[in-house]
Amino acid sequence: MSTTSHKTWPKLTSQDEFRFLMELVLKRSTGDHTLVSLHDQQSGTTRFANNQIVQNVDMRRGSLSVTVAFGQRHGTASTTDFSAGKVQETVARATHIADRSPNDPEYLPPVEPQHYVTTPTARPETAFAGPARRLEYASEAIGQCRMENLGAAGIVSSSMATVGVAASTGLFAHEVRTDARFSLTVQTGDATGWSAAAHRSIDHLKVQERTLTAIDKAKRGLEVRELPPGRYTVILEPAAVAGLWYSLLWALDAKSYEKDTSALSGKLGRRIVDTRLTFRNVPTHEDLLGIGFTPDGLPTVASDWITDGVLTQLSYDRFTAKARGIDTIPTLDAPCLSASGSPVPTLQDMIKHTERAILVTNFWYIRTVNPTDLTLTGMTRDGTFLVENGAIVSAVKNFRFHESPLRVFSRIEAFTNPTEAITSETGKLLVPAMTLSDFNFSSVTRF
Amino acid sequence: MPGHFIPHQDELAELALKRVVASGADYGDIRLLDSTTQTIRGEDRRIASIRDAQDSGFGIRVLYHGAWGFAASSVLSLEEAPRVADLAIDIAKGSASLARERVKLADEPVHRDRIVTARRIDPFAVTLDKKTALLLETMESMHRQPGIVRSSANLWARRDRKLFVSTEGSRLEFDLLALSGDFDATAIHDGRFASRSFNTPHLRMGYELIDDANFLAVAPRIASEAVEKVKAPTTDPGQYDLVLDPEHLSLTMHESCGHPSELDRALGYEANYAGTSFLTTDTRGTFRYGSSHVNLVADNCEPETLAATGYDDDGVTCQQWDIVRNGIFVGYCTNREVAPKIGETRSHGSNRADSWGTVPIVRIANIGLEPGSATLDELLADVTRGIYIEGHGSYSIDQRRYNFQFGGDAFWLIENGKRTHMVRDVIYHGITPDFWNSCDGVADRSHRRRYGFITCGKGQPSQSGWMTHAASHARFRNVNVIGGQAGS
Repeated sequence: MSTTSHKTWPKLTSQDEFRFLMELVLKRSTGDHTLVSLHDQQSGTTRFANNQIVQNVDMRRGSLSVTVAFGQRHGTASTTDFSAGKVQETVARATHIADRSPNDPEYLPPVEPQHYVTTPTARPETAFAGPARRLEYASEAIGQCRMENLGAAGIVSSSMATVGVAASTGLFAHEVRTDARFSLTVQTGDATGWSAAAHRSIDHLKVQERTLTAIDKAKRGLEVRELPPGRYTVILEPAAVAGLWYSLLWALDAKSYEKDTSALSGKLGRRIVDTRLTFRNVPTHEDLLGIGFTPDGLPTVASDWITDGVLTQLSYDRFTAKARGIDTIPTLDAPCLSASGSPVPTLQDMIKHTERAILVTNFWYIRTVNPTDLTLTGMTRDGTFLVENGAIVSAVKNFRFHESPLRVFSRIEAFTNPTEAITSETGKLLVPAMTLSDFNFSSVTRF
Repeated sequence: MPGHFIPHQDELAELALKRVVASGADYGDIRLLDSTTQTIRGEDRRIASIRDAQDSGFGIRVLYHGAWGFAASSVLSLEEAPRVADLAIDIAKGSASLARERVKLADEPVHRDRIVTARRIDPFAVTLDKKTALLLETMESMHRQPGIVRSSANLWARRDRKLFVSTEGSRLEFDLLALSGDFDATAIHDGRFASRSFNTPHLRMGYELIDDANFLAVAPRIASEAVEKVKAPTTDPGQYDLVLDPEHLSLTMHESCGHPSELDRALGYEANYAGTSFLTTDTRGTFRYGSSHVNLVADNCEPETLAATGYDDDGVTCQQWDIVRNGIFVGYCTNREVAPKIGETRSHGSNRADSWGTVPIVRIANIGLEPGSATLDELLADVTRGIYIEGHGSYSIDQRRYNFQFGGDAFWLIENGKRTHMVRDVIYHGITPDFWNSCDGVADRSHRRRYGFITCGKGQPSQSGWMTHAASHARFRNVNVIGGQAGS
């Protein structure tokens, strides 16, 4: 293939070009305030199933969004056409909307110019990866599975984006972001095994290692037994912990908290999970996907959200933050959950020291059942095993669970150090694997 | 010129497809799309945002030596078209290097046509003043009910102008509309909170959909029921007969019948994300999916429904076909790629992409439950102890679509043939074929309603599928109902 050749790649909107677009918008806008946002992305995904490529795509999409405000009346219009005429037309559309909008009592003008800490959001090896590199990784995963007479289904993706936000207040931010992903489901008969990764650097996807992990899980799934529903000790791999923990994040919304429509209402300053757990945002962590600034143009910040099990922070929109006198709005772009005390060195050690438990690779279709106490439901997926006397003894049919993260994360028996975790339903986090007691599996499915 | 929404659109398409043909590709097509989406979002008695998004671009799909490549761009220029075409060809050649089994497309006649959504009132011509006033009055009306602490009210409209051209000679133009509106109210009581919602169906029609929904007449009832719901007692877990309303059934059908009937899932294409299907290809024609009352028909021809676009993104004519007939599973949703894999000579025309930048994949059709002969009162009359469920709530289902769980938006206890009072936190659970085999009655056509989805997630990169599901009320016997708390 010749697709690594740069002649095939469009040049994404640079900082100078974004400044030019911003100036064009501001010159045309008659609003009291004007906000301009840019998202220009080149992305591609190679998708495979049944050991061959089923979808192989590449897309360049640039979008410019303009918000115009008169007093507290505001409107937003966007376009994917960056020609001068279309940009001016977009300003006119936003102006038209703002002119006819009712007053929004919660509207705030764009923020003033900010100071941003330089965050390493982009890696050149991802930016220039292209279809050839994606195909190489897909071929590697497929090849490994073919050799074992197993079926591979998965994706390799890579993207680069230039993102900007600027305003009539003098605010200006622009950065390049990259993202690479790999996920693989290995199939043999009814058994499946899964592994996934996401990183700014395509070099860090660990395709071979993750392929072997998924293969091992699928092969262990060939002998499957059905256990009755009930309460079990569980060993949750990082992806399974991430799935449950992520659901907790929605409840952190400050406005819902104040209106008593959050499961966490009234719990600020109180213990909500095990006192060994601490939850932080770490935008500069090289293994997380932190960004330099929010869509409002505010800098992302390192912040503590749960400290020693105590809820210490909420997720604020600008209006609610202002009403509460909060100057620095905490962000959650690079979340990390850690536990204090003595971690078990590895997941394998955790299994070795367990008398009887269900090992869960991943959860799927997690949904809130009761928003008042944050009871969730979901299914285990792609590698659920019975552990007895320190070893995996068989696969088990998948369970449905009913549990609240507020309860399960108060029943921690063991944990590892935080490691990378990503699922199809969560963003990327660092979380430990955990052993939790008394986990409620409410029913069993047929495979 | 009518239909020329993008300058030089035919020139651009011709330029791109000439390169595809010259490359020796088996097949190629181009979709040029210009979408306008207006979203008005109301929250807690204010208009929180009004957005007008214009999204234009083109995508080129190439089948080379039986393997796919696709490239797309939002830069609609005659200079960009060759770059994107060459990239799509190059990517297809890369896919071909790993191909074990060549893709062979099912035959389809060449079509040249123009499809336009019928409308009485253009939603983009209705003034913002009228729309925002409606949403503000709706929210204000709900807040008059004591106990209501939060509200939302939203309007959404989309216009898609699209040109599809293939190397086989098809040329199809589309000018499509879709519309919806919704609102909800949240009440608190005794440390709990609960919401009640109202949704118009998502349909392809004009603003008359919103006018006819009469938000202001409905809003007081929604607010009142939100308060009643949060104060309602829970039910004991156990076996109940369920009577499900059409809106609720639209989701049940979507998840437990729609997805498992997608042939690409059954063939393993979605194994890494959305999942596979318990309706494996050997079950077609023999598997008892439901009772004899259960007839599920895919109808992509019914006017105003989301999947009734005349042609799909393979350029295949929209059709009507059976998924389940007299309880037996008989048909899949297919596209030109997968249909031949089960010996079918023509695609059912259910291949759709959610934008110019995504590749079309098999999507659920407008699958609906055919009406029976009962009235709703007759369905209720024969229930000693049951629950009547309206609307959508929490839902979750395993990746082969066996083990499901559904909540709802509102629940009423049925005692001795009558709806008595609301209950809360109802969740029912089951195994898909067991559940549909417990169906012993479907209401008649006068009860039939349609509800659409625009957020059906599938594919990697993830795409949002659009389809409409119609049903009349239906009754299910001895379904396992559990409470909505942990440990239930």
